[in-house]
Amino acid sequence: MVVCTLCSCYPWPVLGLPPVWYKSAPYRSRAVIDPRGVLREFGVELAEDVEVRVWDSTAELRYMVLPMRPEGTDGMTRDELTALVTRDAMIGTGVVKTMRAVG
Amino acid sequence: MNGAHDLGGMHGFGPVVVEPNEPVFHAEWERRTFALNMAMGAWHRWNLDMGRYARELMPPVEYLATTYYEHWLFGLELLLEQVGFLQPDELARVGRAPDRAHPPGWVAAVKEGAMRLDDVERVVHRRRGARLDDPVAPRFKTGEVVVARNIHPVGHTRLPRYVRGRKGIIDRDHGAFIFPDTHAAGKGTQPQHVYSVRFDARELWGSDASPRDHVYVDLWDDYLDPS
Repeated sequence: MVVCTLCSCYPWPVLGLPPVWYKSAPYRSRAVIDPRGVLREFGVELAEDVEVRVWDSTAELRYMVLPMRPEGTDGMTRDELTALVTRDAMIGTGVVKTMRAVG
Repeated sequence: MNGAHDLGGMHGFGPVVVEPNEPVFHAEWERRTFALNMAMGAWHRWNLDMGRYARELMPPVEYLATTYYEHWLFGLELLLEQVGFLQPDELARVGRAPDRAHPPGWVAAVKEGAMRLDDVERVVHRRRGARLDDPVAPRFKTGEVVVARNIHPVGHTRLPRYVRGRKGIIDRDHGAFIFPDTHAAGKGTQPQHVYSVRFDARELWGSDASPRDHVYVDLWDDYLDPS
């Protein structure tokens, strides 16, 4: 997941301006020390054996997460897949789900 | 500076609150503050690092009690005073209402390098990069173990407190960039390499952290020592 602990650096040209939570003290303080706790608040529960990588954007480099392709999407077109991707999945605080999984 | 902006690892701010269907701006003054910052940034009387440092100079009690765009407005007002565009007491005098009788010198100052409507597209999409082509040699190699310096500069720095004195590994070399500490102080670009440095979560936070997790922080040559 991506954070900027020092200000609120964010890939504006790709994702637009960041949401308030991304710029807030709770997210900026906790993403680096308690990433699993933060993810849980976003409804993402990770198994112990999954590695969490946090990127703190301290320089003039911007990061985004390439979301993991959900299961059961083999036959989907590029446009259908694109429609599944959310902003949060590209920040790293969400997982891309199929409509079936969501509904 | 060891300011309130350096939030990584602090406790007590509560849960992350997500607003569903959030608008881009929550009030007209936020939109104006954003636009003013972009427009005045294009005036080139200060650089990006000076802009960040100005926001960090907000007193810590105030910084933590205010929102993102309030930080931006504080920084902008401070910079405008520093370059002499605003008199120190001017905002108090006009009560922050639009000053229709512009003070002497205002029009001339704006004419020189002002961003006009035609420039907006170009300015917004072609922001000046911090990457430099200077043929400066890297001090470290990928895979090398480094220690983040235990330094506490009173000026601007992009070395967060939570990594100071901690060991990490150079994960990748991003190339040469402007050094923010000197750039924010008007002391030149001091081109040097920036690396993505990988820290074990346990090196930063102790044995309660997951042994699997890592934090990657972009750090400049002058923030690092060999291990």
